[in-house]
Amino acid sequence: MSNYIPTIGVEVHVELKTNTKIFSNSTNGYGEMANSLTNVIDLGYPGTLPTLNKEVLNLAIKAATVLNCKIRREMHFDRKNYFYPDNSKNYQITQSRTPIGYDGYVEIEVNGVKKRIEIEEMHIEEDTCKSTHRGTKTLLDFNRAGVPLIEIVTKPCMASGEEAKAYLEKLRELLFYSDISDCKIEEGSMRADANVSIRKNESDPFGTKAEIKNIGSITNVGISIEKEIERQSKLYDNGETFKPQTRRYDDKIGDTVLMRVKETGNDYRYFPEPDIPFVYVTDEMIERVVATIPMLPDERRKLYIEKGVPEVNANKIVQNRSLSDYFNELLEENTNFKIASNLLLGDIAAYLNKEEKLITETTLTKDRFLELIKNMEDNTLTSKNLKDILNKILEDTSSISDIIKSSGIENITDDSAIRDVVRKVIEANPGSVEDYKTGHDRAIKFLMGQVMKESKGSANPKMAMDILVEELQ
Amino acid sequence: MKYLNKSVLELHELLKEKKIKPIDLVEEAFENIEANKELNAYITLNKEEALKQAKELEDKEVDNVLFGMPIAIKDNIVTKDLLTTCASHMLDNFTPIYNATVIDKIKEKNMIIIGKTNMDEFAMGSTSRTSYFGAPLNPWNKEKISGGSSGGSAVTIAARDLPFALGSDTGGSIRQPSSYCGIVGMKPTYGRVSRYGLIAFASSMDQIGPMTKNVYENALLLNAIVGKDDKDLTSAEKEPEDFARLIGQDIKGMKIAVPNYFMSDIVTKEVKEKIEETIELLKNAGATVDYVDMKYLDQAVTLYQVIALGEASSNLARFDGIRYGFSAENPKNIKDVYFKTRQEGFGTEVKRRIMVGAYILSGDNAKVYYNKAMSVRAAMRDEFKRIYKDYDLIIGPTATTTAYNQTDSIDDPLKSFMDDVLVNPANMAGLPGLNVPVGFDSSNLPIGMHIIGNDFDEAKMYQLASYIEKTLDLNLTPGGEK
Repeated sequence: MSNYIPTIGVEVHVELKTNTKIFSNSTNGYGEMANSLTNVIDLGYPGTLPTLNKEVLNLAIKAATVLNCKIRREMHFDRKNYFYPDNSKNYQITQSRTPIGYDGYVEIEVNGVKKRIEIEEMHIEEDTCKSTHRGTKTLLDFNRAGVPLIEIVTKPCMASGEEAKAYLEKLRELLFYSDISDCKIEEGSMRADANVSIRKNESDPFGTKAEIKNIGSITNVGISIEKEIERQSKLYDNGETFKPQTRRYDDKIGDTVLMRVKETGNDYRYFPEPDIPFVYVTDEMIERVVATIPMLPDERRKLYIEKGVPEVNANKIVQNRSLSDYFNELLEENTNFKIASNLLLGDIAAYLNKEEKLITETTLTKDRFLELIKNMEDNTLTSKNLKDILNKILEDTSSISDIIKSSGIENITDDSAIRDVVRKVIEANPGSVEDYKTGHDRAIKFLMGQVMKESKGSANPKMAMDILVEELQ
Repeated sequence: MKYLNKSVLELHELLKEKKIKPIDLVEEAFENIEANKELNAYITLNKEEALKQAKELEDKEVDNVLFGMPIAIKDNIVTKDLLTTCASHMLDNFTPIYNATVIDKIKEKNMIIIGKTNMDEFAMGSTSRTSYFGAPLNPWNKEKISGGSSGGSAVTIAARDLPFALGSDTGGSIRQPSSYCGIVGMKPTYGRVSRYGLIAFASSMDQIGPMTKNVYENALLLNAIVGKDDKDLTSAEKEPEDFARLIGQDIKGMKIAVPNYFMSDIVTKEVKEKIEETIELLKNAGATVDYVDMKYLDQAVTLYQVIALGEASSNLARFDGIRYGFSAENPKNIKDVYFKTRQEGFGTEVKRRIMVGAYILSGDNAKVYYNKAMSVRAAMRDEFKRIYKDYDLIIGPTATTTAYNQTDSIDDPLKSFMDDVLVNPANMAGLPGLNVPVGFDSSNLPIGMHIIGNDFDEAKMYQLASYIEKTLDLNLTPGGEK
């Protein structure tokens, strides 16, 4: 297979997290009984008119801001006219000529290389209803009709499935963190289409485009793009050509499948929506929205690492919004952030997963967490002991020291008691002692392990280590 | 005993003094409509419900001047639990579960809906002959058209069936039939009245307005239906006002412009002369009347065709047989659902207009026609604004002719557009326009004067119209006593 240069552009539809729909006061909800979240406006009844949900505008301004887009100050909506049963008015209200955001970018990193993914435009539109095909019949659920969407369109600026994947992960993180959308691909609140073409040289015009529609996961976006590049390369290698087309990714066969060849001249007869007057975005509106944007993931990661959190931990914390928000509360404090991150991602995360709780739903207030960190830091509490009292720490409100005391697992800090154990271990393991003395550092770890084992984990590890080194001299 | 020939104020007094009950008016309205059945002014009568409502009102305080008054509603205004057909086979089974905002408003006043009036199908026409239910007839001469599209509302008022009707006006559909039938019809400023529940024809022009026997009662009904509506983003933020407040005031010093185009050869001699007579009357009363040149007026019909039909092609797309209304039988596939439903459900004129509108918005045509029309439209509005710097009101004839024969020009689709040449500009510019009768032609058919006001200047239009009405003191009851 020859080498071609792939060009990839991605279009993403994201459902906005509003209480009500974009053009009516129906509830914006998922998973409810079919057609229970509808009214005469959503159903396109004669004489009904759209209203405009202000929250949609706010979230779109927010999205434009976090995607580094310029924000249009004077805009209108347009009608996209086409007949389809999922489209109650047989036109969709969207923004064609005056998208709210334009000329933005998102920064990604693939294999250590940073790249800006340029965003051509992002616009506001309404979602269509959900069609379910059953044999010769099609069932329509209008709960989704009129759910607010933003569509984010990149320039054709990506060169691999990996980049597209990284872009989508970044996008999801940004939109999720800014409370713009749930970004749940499996529930359809984030949907991605990729346009893929290849060419021989940078100087060649773009190759014929294939659009891959509605890919079910971010991983599959990466895979499907690579598969599509492979498919197109083989065709060109064999001297074949193909028509612009729409394909879908079939997870079962792990490849893209032809849906339809694109007809030229798809005519949507766009014109400005006369039922919605021009919308003006003021400085005040933008300021108000920007003030609600929380600290974004990149900044969080950077701060955590600066505070001594290992990079791998920093990344993991940021993947969990509630943990990260919780962690942010600590940043002003003088504490050991490495221990804090280990605690949160270790036993505490396991507990939260098991109990299906958020960290904020436990009794671990900031002050109690700081106390816990301190106890871990000065070895009053060992990791092993922690496991025994974790439930109490997360479910009781008493102080950490009280819990430790009442649990009777306070570790041995009595010098002579520890020294007895150490001596016993040294006696029982002459081989390891010999190894240590001949410079095998690993031996001391083994001996230390034996000390902890002998003391049933209750010896203060720091003291034990000091005494062990002393006794080995 | 007959009451409905009395003025609304008199009826109001009688109701207040309990000398009559709302049911007397409702029963009389239905008797009148029955006697005038031949005029075909109604598509649906609301008899049972109206009588029930009238009964219920007997225990209530007569708290406003419109209380208990019978009213007819054009059948493109959505009425809860009452068939709303738009004079189309497409909706001849459509009973809405919601009210238009104007309906809620007149119900708040305890007005009683008598029925839904005949009209051109989807308000597309200027003769009411495109109605699926047959054309209404002009009470002045049954051979003649009523005008349209609010023909049924004009006819039932002219025939003195009842005192109030609502119409809608996209390109003259209130004013032109009002002129042909000799009544007062007001198209308010765009945004003055909520369009929520008005089945859209051309959204950027549609406006609901009152149709009545006289100017004062017209203002009373307008008082009741205006106001900012949260359900209609194009409705205007305006404080309530009494539109009748200037009625009876002197018009001395009023500055009035007559665009030369409105009095050009497009208007018949008889109509023109009657308007000139009225202009003399105004001058005698101390008003200044100047003939002025205005650009773009001759473009209004072309603009209207492009913009109104473009919007209509999109607005009427929702009628697809899937969720409500007529649905063709035994479709083979989804395309068939659309094709057959729309083929069988819509009449010829509606289909023609959808086709032209879709063409206008297609591909590059949108730039060539629609965008161009929108920019000329803005220029036309500026042209009106230029005139209003120096003048209070603009006047001219409402229609180029009086009502013509039911059988005339029936195969000429362009004729129906040209009927509205004088009334289209107000829709294009979003300005209020009013018809007031000023006399009759040699065949005793009414001639109307068109008054175009500046934005939200309806009160001043009523002031002038009322002066004309009072001074001329015409007998406007077809073939009968005043």
